[in-house]
Formats: sequence, structure tokens, C-alpha cells
Amino acid sequence: MDLPGQLFAYIGPGAGIALVGSFLVVLAALVSAVFTMLTWPMRRLWRALRGRQALRKAKVKRVVVLGLDGLEPTLTEQYLAEGLLPNLAKLKETGSYHRLGTTWPPLSPVAWSSFATGTNPGKHNIFDFIARDPRTYRPAISSVRIGEPRRRLKLGRYTLPLSKPEIKLLRKSKPFWSVLGESGIFSAILRVPITFPPDRFHGVQLSAMCVPDLLGTQGTFLHYSDQGTAGRTTDEDVGGQQMIVERDGNTVRSYLPGPANPLEAGSEELRIPFTVVAGQGDKDATLKLGGQEVPLPENTYTDWVKFSYKPAPGISMRGISRFYLKQMNGHFSMYSTPLQIDPDRPVMPISHPPVYSSYLSRQQGPFATLGLAEDTWSLSEELMSEDAFLDQAYNIHEERTAMFFDSLTKVRQGMVVCVFDAPDRIQHMFWRFVDEDHPALRGRSNTHGDTIPEMYQRMDDLVGETVERLGEDTALLVMSDHGFKPFRRCVDLNKWLMENGYLKLLGDAAHSDQSYLKQVDWTRTSAYALGLAGIYINLAGRESQGIVAAGEVRDALVAEIVEKLTGLSDPDTNQTAVRQAVARETVYRGPYVDAAPDILVGYNPGYRVSWESAVGKVSAQVLADNKKAWSGDHCIHPEVVPGILFSSLPLESTEANIMDIAPTALEWLGVDKPHYMDGNSLLAPATRETGDSQ
Amino acid sequence: MMFSNKKKIAIDKGLYERLAGIADVGGYSSLDEFIVHILEREAAKFEEAQDEEQVEKQLRGLGYIE
Repeated sequence: MDLPGQLFAYIGPGAGIALVGSFLVVLAALVSAVFTMLTWPMRRLWRALRGRQALRKAKVKRVVVLGLDGLEPTLTEQYLAEGLLPNLAKLKETGSYHRLGTTWPPLSPVAWSSFATGTNPGKHNIFDFIARDPRTYRPAISSVRIGEPRRRLKLGRYTLPLSKPEIKLLRKSKPFWSVLGESGIFSAILRVPITFPPDRFHGVQLSAMCVPDLLGTQGTFLHYSDQGTAGRTTDEDVGGQQMIVERDGNTVRSYLPGPANPLEAGSEELRIPFTVVAGQGDKDATLKLGGQEVPLPENTYTDWVKFSYKPAPGISMRGISRFYLKQMNGHFSMYSTPLQIDPDRPVMPISHPPVYSSYLSRQQGPFATLGLAEDTWSLSEELMSEDAFLDQAYNIHEERTAMFFDSLTKVRQGMVVCVFDAPDRIQHMFWRFVDEDHPALRGRSNTHGDTIPEMYQRMDDLVGETVERLGEDTALLVMSDHGFKPFRRCVDLNKWLMENGYLKLLGDAAHSDQSYLKQVDWTRTSAYALGLAGIYINLAGRESQGIVAAGEVRDALVAEIVEKLTGLSDPDTNQTAVRQAVARETVYRGPYVDAAPDILVGYNPGYRVSWESAVGKVSAQVLADNKKAWSGDHCIHPEVVPGILFSSLPLESTEANIMDIAPTALEWLGVDKPHYMDGNSLLAPATRETGDSQ
Repeated sequence: MMFSNKKKIAIDKGLYERLAGIADVGGYSSLDEFIVHILEREAAKFEEAQDEEQVEKQLRGLGYIE
């Protein structure tokens, strides 16, 4: 068991630095470990007896959910018809296939939270990737709050944490694996979005979406070069950091940046120096880092390279990264993935129990731990080729497959869930190649028209390999949380609000390049947009500078904006951009509805909220082309972007929603549906009430 | 639990029963969730907002936004 040096090693996001451990925590962990070992035989016996009882009402011994994030029904049905997906075809033939209704908005954090809890978003509190603080109008990650330790001890130049930092999951309600655990049923929950920090329940879990990198961001790649200036990789960049190297003949010197030293107030960032030495050939080199010598052939990823920051003597913060040498001779160019938490010695809680990520790492080697692990920004910024991106995405897919199959082997009774992200990320970045009219493809040759069909076939292969491992008495669900559509045109909601008199900029500026609403004149603004889901009212008593009275005035304003925005047409294409805008009260119910945007905007295929509006800028025009490689999306009207649902066993209900998966799994495993769940078991004919998220 | 990261707070039994009924109707998964929600909402009124620069840094790299 790994304890000291690591546990009070620290770390956390550079921003909102958090110490995972403290001296007291280490002591508690040691005592806990001894207690656990001493009581293990009794607990093992108790669980065996309880487990036998737990499944006495079950219809099957095991339920497996294979999540394929973003798999699109129309493409799935087309490829099924063309005979490209034989394993899914077999499932459909022997079991069932449905389109799976999704959430408002159809976004992974929202939809997978409804999957986990069986509730509409009004009960689980996740409405978007981004939430906003009405006191400051500033954004925040919607699913996790990371704070610093409340108590510290100053010792010379060091400040030692005496308490744990706050790392709090903001998803509310209760996931169905906790409900199963209360009945003594074991679950393995792998990489389901919005599980950071991990749930505590009877089972194992590996966290996913919104696990940060070691710089505290959602993923900052590094681009090393002997040209340009340090800082952003391009003027527009938001996901990368340009690192300028020193070159001396055949040797290049630079460093891995890190967070500021969490044990020293006001310290500079931690750094790990390295060198790259040219090899004998034209296209190879060696990376020398922390006593390791790693071969660096051009245009190939290294294996995961481990490294360790040293914030104080005897304390380490461990990480992993993959490097990709693009060019050694001539101008030097090298890419590094975002610097990720080492699963073997994690500096933040990324699994339950904490030792589970270490077990997996020792079982199969290091693996990507970042929440959104596939680096889309380096491809968007054209610092990474399409093929290199695909290599990275499929490397991660193989890692995920290994841990999923390990769970299928080890968990013979109970629940197994694993979510694979490659379908989502690949469709985001490669949709332009299956959409001949896409603005991002104009003037370019279609070099990757086969990528998306091949991805569907790889997912079908995964289904086939999964079925081979199931055996008797297992129910398998293969599902996606939403589908996919082209993202050709951007809708700037803030510009639309401005043109319609609801939003004013300071000095009556016509547009604003300042992010996060910094140039908005709140004394004259009644509505504003932030994030991917919709529009907020500048409500008096809620927003710090709110000017719209609560109650009838607010409701009338919401109704007015909903009516004006629904049916918004695009004069350049003669298409309807906004299929429907709705007041949140019509699609959500529950205790957290107040945190949702007041108005939700559902676009037609081809449209999405603009890049500018999502971060609180105001651009020059309401409608514009999307020319980014990020060319497919799903943040549109949920009616037009359902997911898929295949079942190895027949389902009685003809209409299925993502909220129904939890009650269905519970019924298969013989556990009653809790009162708060909105979904219904698909083992009975549909009886859905209206008024839920779908 | 021996090393649980939770603390207990005592409340009147009658209030407990009233709250339990409300939690059910309100769509909470448990009474605990209901009480934590109310406490967090009230506590937020006394707490400072997170540092602006740190919050923006946490969002950096999220593919869906620039």
C-alpha cells in the first residue's frame, strides 16, 4: 500500500489548489488500513452471506452497461442496414433496439447524471458544463468545487495542510449504484462522466469527466518549439501552452511546468527539467527526464512517461504524460499531452476505493486519468495532425477496454458500467469529413471520409468482444447518452439579446472580445447568455446587480424571449436555426431548478451556440460559419439528437429515455425503484408522465 | 464510520419528521440531501466567491468552449 511520501504529497489544481492529504489524514489512513486488514475475514464472510441474499429477487445475476458516448442513431441505423455492424445487428435481433431519449440540454454531464440518478436535471443539479455564480456573473465548472485546506501549519518556509481540502461533487440526488450497494449488491463503475470526486458506495469506481490535469485545468497540452514566444500556442488558443526551448547543437533543453508549490505561499511554479538529444538517424532522439531515457522516434507517441515534482524534501507529486516528437532536425517541435494525475500514486481522489486506480495501473500499466482525456484543442489549433489525434484517442480506448474487461472478469454478480469516449471526441473533430458542405472542409481535400464509419465498426467490434465475455445470466445494455449532428453555423445568443434590447455593453460598444461578460453593463441588461445551454435573466435578488423583478415580471420576460427566439431564421441559409426555446419550468422539476438557465435553447441540426457567446463574449454578428475542426456537436434540441439503446434481453417499453436505465437495472437486479426517480423500468410498458426533461 | 468525513448534528424529533415529509415531496433522494441543500444555500450567503482567475483557469482546455 502506498502511503506517506505520496499521501501528503499534495496536489491539486494550480487554480484552487487542494491538498489531498495532510499529516492527520496520513495517520488516519494508516490506522484505517490496519483496521481493515484485521477485520477483513469477518467482512468477507458477511458480504458473502449478504450478497447471496441481495440477489434473491433478481431476474439476472449481472447487468452490464456499455456506454458509447455520442453514438448517433441515424448513422447506427444506416451502418446496420449496410451490414457494417454485425454484433449490434445480432443484439437487435435477439434482444431489442430503441432510440434513447436524452436530456435538455443533450450534453454528456447532464445526460450521464440523469443516467446515474434516474432523475431529470432539476433533481441532480447538473445543467451544463458551466455554471455561473449570480453574485459575480463569473463561470465555474458545474460538477465539482475544489477549495484549499481550511487549516494549515506554518513551519519555516513551508505551510503544511492540517485538514483535507474541499473537493466536492456537485451532482445531487443518489446514483443507482449507491442504491444497489444499500441492498448489498456490488458495482464496478468505470469512467461514467460526473463521478469526480468518486462516489462512496459498495463497489469500485474510476472517475471521469472533469478530473483536472496537474495544472488544475481541464487539459492543457504543451507545445515545445524553438520558434515563437512562450505562452499561448496561437492567438486564439485556450487549450495549449507554448514552451520555448534552448537549443545547443544536438541537445534541446526545456522543462515540464507544474502548479505553484502548494506548500510554499507565493512560490513560483514547480518545474521538472529535461533534455532531448538527437539520435544517430535523422528522425529520432532520446528524452532524458528524471533519470529516465525514453526513445523519441519522430511522429510516434512515447509510452506514458512518469515524472515527479518535489514541493518539499520527501514529498512528491506524481504525474504522467506522453510525448510526440514532430521534428528534431531543422526547427524543433514536440508535443506533450496534458500532464495527468498518475493513477498509481494519485494526488487527488480519482477512484473509490482510493487504491483502485493503483490496482488498475499495476494491472495494465499507466492510463489516461484526465476527465476529457482526448486532446481536441491541439487538433483544433492545427498543432496535431488528424492521424496523431486518432492514435491518441484509440490508445485511450484500448486502455479503457482493458479495465472494462478486467471488471467483466472479476465482477460475476452485480453491476458493471463502463463509458467509452472515443465516439464523442472523434465525431466532434471529424464530422466535417462526412458533411461535404461543412465550412471547416471548404478548400480542403477530404482526407478522412472513412474515419467515422471505421469508428462505428470498432465500437461494434468492442460489442462483439464484450458479448463473448458475458456468459449466462447477464443482461447487456449498449447505449449512448446523445447522438450527433453537424455544427456548421454558430448562433451568438448574446449578440441576439443585444440586438433585441435585452443586453447592453459598457459604453454602448457594438461587440466585446472580453470573455465572461466582463463588458456587460448590468444596470441596463435584463438577460444574458453563458455556457452551452441557454439564457439567464438578470434577476433582482438573485443576480448581484439584477434589474428584473422576480415573479410576474420575470415570467413575462421569459415568455417574451422564448417567443421571439423560437424559429429564429438564418438569412444566409434560409433555414430555421432555433427549433424551440423553452422556459426551464416546462422541462425541469425538482429542488435545484433555480440553478438552471431561465431559458433553454434547442437548435436545429447544423446550429449551436457560438464559441463567443458560450464564454460570455459578444461578437459582431448573430449568425456565422463554424470553421473549426470541432465540426460536429450535440448541444441542440434533444428531440433531434437522441442516443441509442441496444439490449441483449427484450424490453417491453417502446419508448425509452436515459432516465429509465437506472430503474431498469434495479428491476433486473431485484431492487425496488426509489421514490425520487423519474425514470421507469423498461421491463414494463411505458407509463411516462409528462413534464420531465423529456 | 470510524474515519467518516461527516459530522452529526442533532435536531428536534418533530422537526426531523416534518422535514422528512418535505424531502419526499420535494424530490430529494433523502432527508440528508434536503438538509445539506438548505445549509449550503444559507452558508453561501456568508462566503466569498471563488477567485476569478482561478475559476477561469479551471475551465481552460474544455473542448466545448474557447
